[in-house]
Amino acid sequence: MVTHRLEAHVLGEGDWIAATEICQLCSLDLGAVMELAELGVVAPREIPPGQWQIPATALPRLRVVGRLIQDLGVNVSGAALALELLEAQRELERRIRSLERLASDH
Amino acid sequence: MEFRDYYKVLGVERAATADQIKTAYRRLARKYHPDVSKEPNAEARFKEMQEAYEVLKDPEKRAAYNQLGADWKAGEQFRPPPDWGSGFEFSGGAGRPGGARGAGRTGRSRAGAGQDGAFQDQDFSDFFSSLFGGGTPFASAGRGAGRDHHARVGIELEEAYRGTTRTLELRRPEVKPDGSVELRTHTVRVTIPAGVTEGQLIRLAGQGEPPSGAGQAGDLYLEVHLEGHRLFQLEGRDVTLTFPVAPWEAALGAPVTVPTLGGTVEMHIPAGAQSGQKLRLRGRGLPGQPAGDQYLQLKVVLPPANTPQAKALYEEMRSQLNFDPRANLSR
Repeated sequence: MVTHRLEAHVLGEGDWIAATEICQLCSLDLGAVMELAELGVVAPREIPPGQWQIPATALPRLRVVGRLIQDLGVNVSGAALALELLEAQRELERRIRSLERLASDH
Repeated sequence: MEFRDYYKVLGVERAATADQIKTAYRRLARKYHPDVSKEPNAEARFKEMQEAYEVLKDPEKRAAYNQLGADWKAGEQFRPPPDWGSGFEFSGGAGRPGGARGAGRTGRSRAGAGQDGAFQDQDFSDFFSSLFGGGTPFASAGRGAGRDHHARVGIELEEAYRGTTRTLELRRPEVKPDGSVELRTHTVRVTIPAGVTEGQLIRLAGQGEPPSGAGQAGDLYLEVHLEGHRLFQLEGRDVTLTFPVAPWEAALGAPVTVPTLGGTVEMHIPAGAQSGQKLRLRGRGLPGQPAGDQYLQLKVVLPPANTPQAKALYEEMRSQLNFDPRANLSR
């Protein structure tokens, strides 16, 4: 079997993605992306005027929001709130693990 | 292949209304959604539910599925009947893109085997594919440009630090000369650069769904999932290591050898260090612009007083140091 070798492009710092493409990647519509911008979940830029771009670093968060909206039927602000609570929960769990390591015998 | 009882998966009767099916799905999705659930096997359960809901929410697919009869039991060996799909009128475009491992533009169930730890999206079962996938009357057709596919790839922390490769098996529907559709597997080897972080997307241009006719192939997106590590805890690009030190190392300062993702480094524990104190090794986290840092969280470990000599040393400290660890409680 032939194996093709591919170079990957990581969407990360410094990359800006058109809002329309973000919509496809995150299962969101443009209205939802703009609402998330109003809620402070994402900070888009307008270059050129009328064409919005989103930093690629926001993709992981936006994809979670998209999944929550599509799979659980919550609205945009509900998904944004759930995202923040999930992140706060993970941070607390991380701190607990850290303290447990400090307190453990090993 | 094994028969799947979609009604049982969602916990509804065969006579359930569309609203009852939707409610059952929502309730189970809330419990097993991989983004929120702590349940064991949440991801696999969620994938089953998505597949069941994909069929039962669609009147055409549900009717066709019901036609298989009510006597089948989950797990029984199953083959689609030869006249599968005949006698139905289709609204068109209701099916998944052909193929068990293809993903719709918005599909994202993250389960199913790829290769080398990769998980492809919307990887519904062979049972689903045989009934509703490519080559069946339920598959969508005439789309033009190919759709994007999504997959999840698991990576160890060390691999994220130094970069790695993954071999992926991609299954694509291809139209044969006689007009029928079959799944063809091709293998790609992907170089993943150093410094990827949790949830980041990797784009492989043109590796998604092939176009039907004119148009461009879709892209394949790999979503990075970093596996947990025995020693290091990750936060963004920073890593934290709980680092045990002896009381005299903390009190007097000491040179120590520290494991990092890039190998061991020498550093000096400052005199007067305390348990819980954090020391930073700049730029020793995951690579990036800027690179992450490594933190050492010091943990002072007491030697056990289990020999006469050790007890004597503790006794001497008690008599010589005049140390009260609870001094601030009596203020």
